[in-house]
Amino acid sequence: MRNPENAIEVNNITKTFKIYHDKGHSLKEKALHVSRRKYEKHQVLKGVSFEVKKGEAVGLMGQNGCGKSTTLKMLTKIMYPDTGTIEMNGRISSLLELGAGFHPDLSGRENIYINASTFGLTKKEIDKRIQDIIDFSELWDFIDNPVRTYSSGMYMRLAFSVAINVDADILLIDEILAVGDLNFQTKCINKLMEIKASGTTIVLVSHSTDQIESICDRSIWIHEGVVRAQGETQVVNREYVNYMRSLRNQALEEEQARKNEESAGTVGEGTEASSESVSENESVNAPGEETGEEQQPEPEVQDKIIVKSAVITNASGESQSLFTLGESVTLEIELYAEELVKDYLIELNLVRADVLFCYGVSTSCDRIACEEWQGDRKLKITFPQMNLLKGLYHFDLHIANSDGSTIVFKGGIAQFEIEMDTPERGLVFLPHEWK
Amino acid sequence: MKLFGELWQYREMILSLVKRDLKSRYKGSVLGFFWMFLNPLLQLCVYTVVFSTIMRMGIDKFYLFLFVALVPWMFFSTCLSSGTTVVMGQQDMVKKIYFPREVLPLAFTISQFVNMLLSFVIIFVVVFVSGIKLDPLSLLYLPLIMIIEFVLSLGIVLLASSLTVYFRDLEHILSIISMAWMYLTPIIYPVEMVPENLLKFFYLNPMTPITIAYRDILYYGKAPHVKTLISAALLGILVLVVGEILFSRLQRKFAEEL
Repeated sequence: MRNPENAIEVNNITKTFKIYHDKGHSLKEKALHVSRRKYEKHQVLKGVSFEVKKGEAVGLMGQNGCGKSTTLKMLTKIMYPDTGTIEMNGRISSLLELGAGFHPDLSGRENIYINASTFGLTKKEIDKRIQDIIDFSELWDFIDNPVRTYSSGMYMRLAFSVAINVDADILLIDEILAVGDLNFQTKCINKLMEIKASGTTIVLVSHSTDQIESICDRSIWIHEGVVRAQGETQVVNREYVNYMRSLRNQALEEEQARKNEESAGTVGEGTEASSESVSENESVNAPGEETGEEQQPEPEVQDKIIVKSAVITNASGESQSLFTLGESVTLEIELYAEELVKDYLIELNLVRADVLFCYGVSTSCDRIACEEWQGDRKLKITFPQMNLLKGLYHFDLHIANSDGSTIVFKGGIAQFEIEMDTPERGLVFLPHEWK
Repeated sequence: MKLFGELWQYREMILSLVKRDLKSRYKGSVLGFFWMFLNPLLQLCVYTVVFSTIMRMGIDKFYLFLFVALVPWMFFSTCLSSGTTVVMGQQDMVKKIYFPREVLPLAFTISQFVNMLLSFVIIFVVVFVSGIKLDPLSLLYLPLIMIIEFVLSLGIVLLASSLTVYFRDLEHILSIISMAWMYLTPIIYPVEMVPENLLKFFYLNPMTPITIAYRDILYYGKAPHVKTLISAALLGILVLVVGEILFSRLQRKFAEEL
């Protein structure tokens, strides 16, 4: 330990797994199929270092497969790193897999003894805790029934109660707070807070940033086998959420681009193309989203105009999807018109993810003249002060003839999220004064 | 030393594994726990019939001569052949929770050892019935030789259980080896029958001095030779140390290999 105040010190650990395509375990297979034993090396951890202070609660997060669970398994000493060292100070209890080693034929009470013994508790220590464990699990009437008669919820409750009542110095938790019903979950979180308050060090792996925020003081974001960011929970979480959203956006854009290509290939082929544009609208919008819209694409309308791209940018023109309340939000669209378009209007609708129509604005209501246009065209609209409150929003684009008949309608062309630090509620921020 | 401390901390787990193993072994059978006594008794009957009436060896009370060596051998051979399943059989726990992995071989060996102790109840009954006089002083050596055999068997279980995770064939190989090993140990024949020039190889077999010691105490009614005890103890400790060194190396990748 470099620092005696630390409970955990992880120094530059790496881990590579061999992924066998056809793994032979027997000697014969090992000897005969040397050539067939191909494997890919997959480096899960590429040098992770972090420290956890005594009594601190730390959240580990990251995408699936980023190595956070592997890290936790190494902290638990189920696995060992290839290089690097892990130093831990204190008694460790891990809630990686609840109820491992439960014996279905034995009663709940007997299983408490067996399960608690796998945490290194002696009989005397278990005797002291057994009432707390049973009380916490709320399984008073069932505790002497065989565990195989338990529902899965009861099973998890019992397992969690045992694991959490081991007075450990360091508690390692992996993605297991989805235990039981809502009340029990709340109870678990409260218990964790209590444990934390009593000075236990906690390392929590979770996909739920809310959970991490409610329990942890600090977050560590592991990305592709390295620590990408660590620090105050809220800050790191926001970065992480932002990144995840940009990934999703990217995937969405790629899908959009692919579809655009497809539809570009079929433009001018009459009814076939238009039927495709209908299905496209459906897949881009969330299910049921169109029910609230008055602009239904009419099947006979041809896809004369294509949305080539739609990005949301911030005040400095960089692509961004997470904003805080009151920031400037700009929508930039690239359009392509197959034929000459004239006498038209452009309408933009701002819709919240739960299909609440928030705001609609058009070139005609702003009395902006639209020039005739063919080929590429860029369109930009800026909201210098986005006053919508916390939530996920998207834009729908509607281009219509001056008589109101639809030329093209695209739902959900771009989305963004608003975050805020204040606890105001509702839909929109209204400037106000108190006296 | 750290390992001992940790194993002591996990004593409750070891105890509950032993209990579970003993309980579940005869669970559901009509005679239940009785099989622990019945099993060696019936085996004794078979050997008595075969070796006293068909294959006469010309040894006085051959059934007893055989039995006092066979019971300890069965303990050892079960450790050798079933020891392979000790870690593999608890995959779930090994992959999912932490505990010192030595708990598993230790618990298995203890439960087999308890089994042997219960069989010794039968041995004493038979010895009493047969009218052989035992020397009370040399009986004091019995616990010692049992402990030595326990140490040896634990070492074997450590080796077998950890190696099997990497080479699954070991299970089958060891059941053959176990049979051969039995015939290379003076169990159904006295060690005096072994040709002089092969004798030194026989003493490399850790089960040879152990078997001789058991027989000295329980059949001949005399204290085992100090040389026998020392060579048994040294070989046992050697196997245990090698077993633990290998086990502690191999256990690091158990979770990945299983």
